[in-house]
Amino acid sequence: MFGYLIGRLSQAVVVVFAMSIIVFVGVYAIGNPIDVMIDPGATQEIRDKLIRQYGLDQPLWQQYFTFVSNVFHGDLGRSMIYNISVTNLVFSRLPATVELVLVSVVIASLIGIPAGLYAGYKPNSLGAKLIMALSVLGFSVPTFWIGMLMIMGFAVELGWLPSGGRGEVAEFLWFNTSLATSDGWAHVIMPAINLSLFKMGLLIRLTRAGMVEAMGAEYVRFARAQGLPDRQIVFSHILRNISIPIVTVFGLELGSTLAFAVVTETVFNWPGVGKLIIDSILQLDRPVMVSYLVMVVILFVMINLIVDLIYARLDPRVRLKGDS
Amino acid sequence: MMLKTTLRPGIAALALLTAAPGVMAQDLMIGLRAGPDSIDPHWSTLGSQAEALRHVFDTVVDVDDKLQLKPGLALSWEAIDDTTWEFKLREGVTFHDGSPFTADDVKFSIERIPEVTGPMPMTLYTKYVDSVEVVDDYTLHIKTKGRAPSLPNDFTRLFVVPSETGMDARNEEFNSGEKAIGTGPYKFISWQPKGDMVMERYEGYWGETPAWEKVTRREIPDDAARVAALKSGQVDLINYVPATDYVSMQNDSSLETSVSDSIYILNIAPSVKDEEPQPIKVNGKEVDGNPLQDLRVRKALDYAIDRKTLVRVVLEGLGTPANQLMPEGFFGYSDKLGEREYDIEQAKSLLAEAGYPDGFEIDFTCTNNRVPGDAVVCEALAQMWSKLGLKVNAQALNGTVYFPAAAREEYTMTMSAWGTLTGEAAYTYGAMVRSKDAEKGFGNFNRSGYSNPEFDKVFDEGSQLLDAEPRRELYEEASYIAMEDRALIPTVILQTVWASKAGTLDFPPRVDQETRAYEITPE
Repeated sequence: MFGYLIGRLSQAVVVVFAMSIIVFVGVYAIGNPIDVMIDPGATQEIRDKLIRQYGLDQPLWQQYFTFVSNVFHGDLGRSMIYNISVTNLVFSRLPATVELVLVSVVIASLIGIPAGLYAGYKPNSLGAKLIMALSVLGFSVPTFWIGMLMIMGFAVELGWLPSGGRGEVAEFLWFNTSLATSDGWAHVIMPAINLSLFKMGLLIRLTRAGMVEAMGAEYVRFARAQGLPDRQIVFSHILRNISIPIVTVFGLELGSTLAFAVVTETVFNWPGVGKLIIDSILQLDRPVMVSYLVMVVILFVMINLIVDLIYARLDPRVRLKGDS
Repeated sequence: MMLKTTLRPGIAALALLTAAPGVMAQDLMIGLRAGPDSIDPHWSTLGSQAEALRHVFDTVVDVDDKLQLKPGLALSWEAIDDTTWEFKLREGVTFHDGSPFTADDVKFSIERIPEVTGPMPMTLYTKYVDSVEVVDDYTLHIKTKGRAPSLPNDFTRLFVVPSETGMDARNEEFNSGEKAIGTGPYKFISWQPKGDMVMERYEGYWGETPAWEKVTRREIPDDAARVAALKSGQVDLINYVPATDYVSMQNDSSLETSVSDSIYILNIAPSVKDEEPQPIKVNGKEVDGNPLQDLRVRKALDYAIDRKTLVRVVLEGLGTPANQLMPEGFFGYSDKLGEREYDIEQAKSLLAEAGYPDGFEIDFTCTNNRVPGDAVVCEALAQMWSKLGLKVNAQALNGTVYFPAAAREEYTMTMSAWGTLTGEAAYTYGAMVRSKDAEKGFGNFNRSGYSNPEFDKVFDEGSQLLDAEPRRELYEEASYIAMEDRALIPTVILQTVWASKAGTLDFPPRVDQETRAYEITPE
């Protein structure tokens, strides 16, 4: 298991390096951030001075080298727009995204998995057909549109929930989170449901497919022949067997939602990292873009690692292979 | 009995809670498209930065809602010789920490700028300053590098911080509130990048006391989210209402809108270089020379623009036809230029005269996210020119891609928005029309290669005059020359829309698009 971990981690380092080069080259190809930011009234002299000040007159490899050596000194750089360290900037907004994603993931699993199990258990019932129809809506209708409909309905027309923002935050386990206040919950619930719809649809379909397949499998028929109750067959045998694809997709989805919850964050004006990265891209804030994307890569690698560890727990065959 | 006594404080608290809305009427919540990048007023020249920090810090010179100068921390200013401006400062002004404001604070603020400014440098506003001399507590002499008639205009963005701030203070100290001490109408409470900026009324303010005790400026960049925040009552006022929502708000009696001309004008810049950056073609073959060098071709492009339709149909009424690079009433606006007419026949014959009876194929590039309506106007123009027989490849690009490429002068014909931020012609014509001259700092946004000795002569003469009236006349003449020569082709002045709940707020819309909380009063 330990060798396996080392292998995965060194793989991750290579991915992070490759990613940083791709981002650097990509941003470099667009052009000089100064041209996007600079005030129209600035003179050529001021412009040249700035380009030198930010080291943008140096060749690409040299700029990249400076960046990498700074990273090795634990310095991810400072935002050109805000002049505060990128780490501070990202971590000041990460809790907002994390809490939003966690709530949405919980909603998606609590509704999606049971609904999928039911739809697979009684595939021909009216309820199953309804669930399947809704799941199709969940990932085919654009998130921003559903989000806007929800705002129009619950915030503007009915006035039950706030239309956006994060609301009151309070400290809970070293973090400032809106999950610690009722006002915060009122703010988080609508965007979280909005963000969960796609994942919910996905989970329903995956669970249902696995369920349908498992229902016809021999071990289920044997179990039935033994006279085990359906409840026990479904929850202790089938669910465990169909969990592997669910965990994989779930992990990938968790990562991409954390990194790119940007549409929901925009529609609901949620102050998370998704909006931060989009703003940085629009302003060509190079240090933030590069550092953030590198952090995203690290995040994905970590999630994948955790997913693989859960696999090993679920499936003894994987566990054995890892040990050898 | 026991129960009653414990209940009583609870009931009292409940009563207080229900009374809260009465107290809340003193609070103002504004939803804005953009906010500051830092609380350090010397960090960036960004418009939304100045707009926000104006609440906390005062500038030496202020501007009215038409961008004309008015006293700020300085009561008066005058050029006492060719290279010296004298500023008389306001007495009895205090900073939020109670310390008095003096000439030393202005001197310190000017000297601090080059030390702390970022990628949108404030040095732009102090570039003419050679040295600052404190004559007495309320008199300053500014020595300039050469003659600097626009110095008072530059000082409209010169925010004053106390001299005790120290040269070492950086963005973090300002953002935390530690150094965010100004003389403005509001005290700084808190701010998060891209989040809320919270302020509290400063009772010792020298000017008129603002109506609101507490002001929150909430950044809501997404247009739909901003409108929803207003409709659901989360904010009292929003800026930059998109055109589509403006139309529907006209039929909604619960909402009220205010419209104002902005300083932003969409201008077309045809490259007149000997060789155009992207080829112009006739029947798929590159033409010899650059057709845009011919004034007749540029005039034909101009005559083929139906500005009234652009305003009425494309911009949903939120615009005004433009005939020069800045709105009426600005210093250097020429009255001699008439309304631009739409005459497709004349346009066709001019084009034929120039040797292109069947038109040509040309690339046309513009931004799609910088100002409301830029992409739609761009596409509409391409259609209007196709009536002239041109084949126009219109391309609307994100500013992130457009600006660097435009700076490298890679486009043959572009359209982008330009605002005359200082309210006078030198800013605009000096940057976009005057021949390039890096040493004098002219023409740094002249990307079409335009150069007209006659214009340069008149313009330069004007920029050396300290006396306002003759300078104005020369700038007006310069505007006239450049526009008759179609150095650039202005199309429409964009308008800005604010919205609030009907019958709640009173505020004068400003041409610089600023939303100043202290100019807003409850109705």
